[in-house]
Amino acid sequence: MIRALIVDDEPPALSELRVLLDEAGNIDIVGEAGNAVEAIAAINRLQPEVVFLDIQMPRISGLEMIAMLDPSHAPRIVFLTAHDDYAVQAFEENAFDYLLKPVDPLRLGKTLQRLQRDRAPQDVGLLKRAHPLRQIPCSGQNRISLLRVEDVEYVASRASGVFVVGEDGKERFTELSLRTLEERTSMFQCHRQFLVNLDHIQELRFEEGGLGRIVTLGGRTVPVSRRFLALLKEKLGVD
Amino acid sequence: MLPFVLIERLSMTLDRLTMTLQLLQQTCVYLVIAYLLSRTPLFIPLMNVTVRPSHKAAAYVIFSMFCILGTYFGLQFDDSIANTRAIGAVLGGLLGGPSVGLAVGLTGGLHRYSLGGPTDVACAISTVTEGLIGGLMHRHYVGRRQFDRLFDPWRVALVTFAAEVAQMAIILLITRPFEVAWSVVDHVALPMWIANTLGAAFFMRILQERRLLLERQSSVFSTKALKIAARAEGILRNGFNEDTTKRISRIIYEETGVGAVSITDRDKILAFIGLGDDHHLPGTPIASEQTLQAIIHNQVLYADGNETDYHCSLSPTCPLGATLVIPLVGEDEQVIGTIKLYEPRNKLFSNINRTLGEGLARLFSTQILAGRYDEQKQLLARSEIKLLHAQINPHFLFNTLNVLSSIIRSDPERARELVLHLSTFFRKNLKRPTEEATLGDEIDHVNAYLQIELARFADRLTVKFDVPDPLRSVALPAFSLQLIVENAIKHGIAHMIEAGVVRIEAKEEAGVLLLSVEDNAGLYGGHDHGDGLGMNLVDRRIRNRYGDSYGLDVSCKPEVSTRVTMRVPIQLVAA
Repeated sequence: MIRALIVDDEPPALSELRVLLDEAGNIDIVGEAGNAVEAIAAINRLQPEVVFLDIQMPRISGLEMIAMLDPSHAPRIVFLTAHDDYAVQAFEENAFDYLLKPVDPLRLGKTLQRLQRDRAPQDVGLLKRAHPLRQIPCSGQNRISLLRVEDVEYVASRASGVFVVGEDGKERFTELSLRTLEERTSMFQCHRQFLVNLDHIQELRFEEGGLGRIVTLGGRTVPVSRRFLALLKEKLGVD
Repeated sequence: MLPFVLIERLSMTLDRLTMTLQLLQQTCVYLVIAYLLSRTPLFIPLMNVTVRPSHKAAAYVIFSMFCILGTYFGLQFDDSIANTRAIGAVLGGLLGGPSVGLAVGLTGGLHRYSLGGPTDVACAISTVTEGLIGGLMHRHYVGRRQFDRLFDPWRVALVTFAAEVAQMAIILLITRPFEVAWSVVDHVALPMWIANTLGAAFFMRILQERRLLLERQSSVFSTKALKIAARAEGILRNGFNEDTTKRISRIIYEETGVGAVSITDRDKILAFIGLGDDHHLPGTPIASEQTLQAIIHNQVLYADGNETDYHCSLSPTCPLGATLVIPLVGEDEQVIGTIKLYEPRNKLFSNINRTLGEGLARLFSTQILAGRYDEQKQLLARSEIKLLHAQINPHFLFNTLNVLSSIIRSDPERARELVLHLSTFFRKNLKRPTEEATLGDEIDHVNAYLQIELARFADRLTVKFDVPDPLRSVALPAFSLQLIVENAIKHGIAHMIEAGVVRIEAKEEAGVLLLSVEDNAGLYGGHDHGDGLGMNLVDRRIRNRYGDSYGLDVSCKPEVSTRVTMRVPIQLVAA
């Protein structure tokens, strides 16, 4: 059984896809998502082998979403689109396959056969070449906001999740992993649990035991571990 | 002795006076020739102080001719000739400069030398000298940039007189025996001084007159042309029709003072102003043979009523007796109509108005072309709208089919309803007999569309209508509400993760229909900029149709709401 996640913002489209996959058999639908943020969370949580991903979705399209996936456990992607404008680009983004909606069961069958044959994990190296992130999706109470990377002061990873702190000092929850953010943005890892935006550093204080402490332009502090201090000094051009 | 001497002196004086009069007579014939030639284009190079080689050559030829003419028109005296050769030589130098003066003098001098006689050498030399004197004067005034003085008859008289004095001196100096020289000079000096001085002065006067006339004509011409061009600016850009051509005709009529002005298209009179406007009526078919010929052959036709007969084909009592028909030429050298100028029987067609007429026809042709271009642009804008009508977003189409295939499975009855909505939507999209629709029509169209979107987005979309029934018969440009609602969904709600709400409201305020579409996405102008074209077209169409106080108004609170309000005057469409 192939573990699959299905993602589409239109409920009837989701149920249609579910029916088709059920009919095809040998597929275990482990979850559904109605938008990119839900999808990222579901992928992190459920670690499916394949994601059937609609391209046209609110705020963050399917194409944009791939760049936000944690490269350490990236599933294979089968894109779905109503119109083949995006087909070429979809393959450039290293999709496994793409399907046109409404989906033809025979065509879906071929995709599933290929998936069955080729169960090797997605080539992580290819995904790394994806475009750098310009915005970070953050989920609030009932909204998703997109925070521009240059407006972020630092990112903190806690037991409760990854939080992005903007210039306003507000902490926003994001589904993206610290590793994704480190790889896809220009932010600098200064601690096992922290990324900092170098453009927002006001002060670097040195503390006992080879530790450091960053004071941001907004006056908030970010710890620097021994491991990253030397590299940080080099980055900032101080000795 | 004394009386005899007196008589002798008296008869000598009489002789000289007679000779002077005779030479003056000859000079008159000479001047008549000059006058006649001055009416020809031959003289145009002489109207200005010449610098160009071609003009200098023309001056050389003409004045050499006059120089030789002066010799032939002279009076034989013994073996010498009392002549007006000096006029050609001096004027040649004056107007053409030293080189032309020298060349004319040499030509005239050699010619004189070929005729022989005791003074042949002296005369040849003195003619060259006279040409040079004229040339030096030319250099003097040109150096001071006092061109006008070269054309001053008084100065010309003075120079010629000086040149003649020099000639006499040269004869006395060169010709031998001296007695012969003295006798010749004694007899011809007075007549030649008077005749040459006056002749040169009059010759220059003729030139001066011509020059003034030309200048006045060209200044009148350019003033008229500029005035008409300025007044007519842009009128024909608004189209080539009865209204615009009437305004153009009025301007031409007022500025040229011709008897009447008319403009036609290929078939009928568009405008007629002036004499005979009681029977030359706009809207009537072209009756005149000239006009039809001008249109067929793309040719200016001129019937002066004298050489070429012109009779008004409409009324025997028409006062118009001459006409000029100039074709108006559009794209690809196609004649699109004519401009006609008329003069009454008792008036001559002035040359200026003929030339002006042709120039104006060219000017207006260009303007009409520009107008057509504008019109084409508008047509293009209209066809853009048509395109938007017919253009169905492929994403919308295939997503809809996808939803259908899902719902057919789960709820066949609902799927049937959806198919009906879909056909309503397509029917409204494809079939738009008129460019204007009622609000009711638009609402039906929008409703069909929204029903489909409701099925697609399910609980992510809520639609609210608030349209009072009486307003449903208000007229508005077809497809406009649909475009706005589609925008609100495509660029607003579709990008929302939480539930979207679209509210469509119509109300009346002081004779104006306020139709607003509000969404709770607040994403207008952000993220993807696809909402520009359609909205701009709708706005432009409303402004074009109802004026600038109507149109679209967009207010956007980012991330909260976007509200597009359409303002159109309340006009009811008859059922």
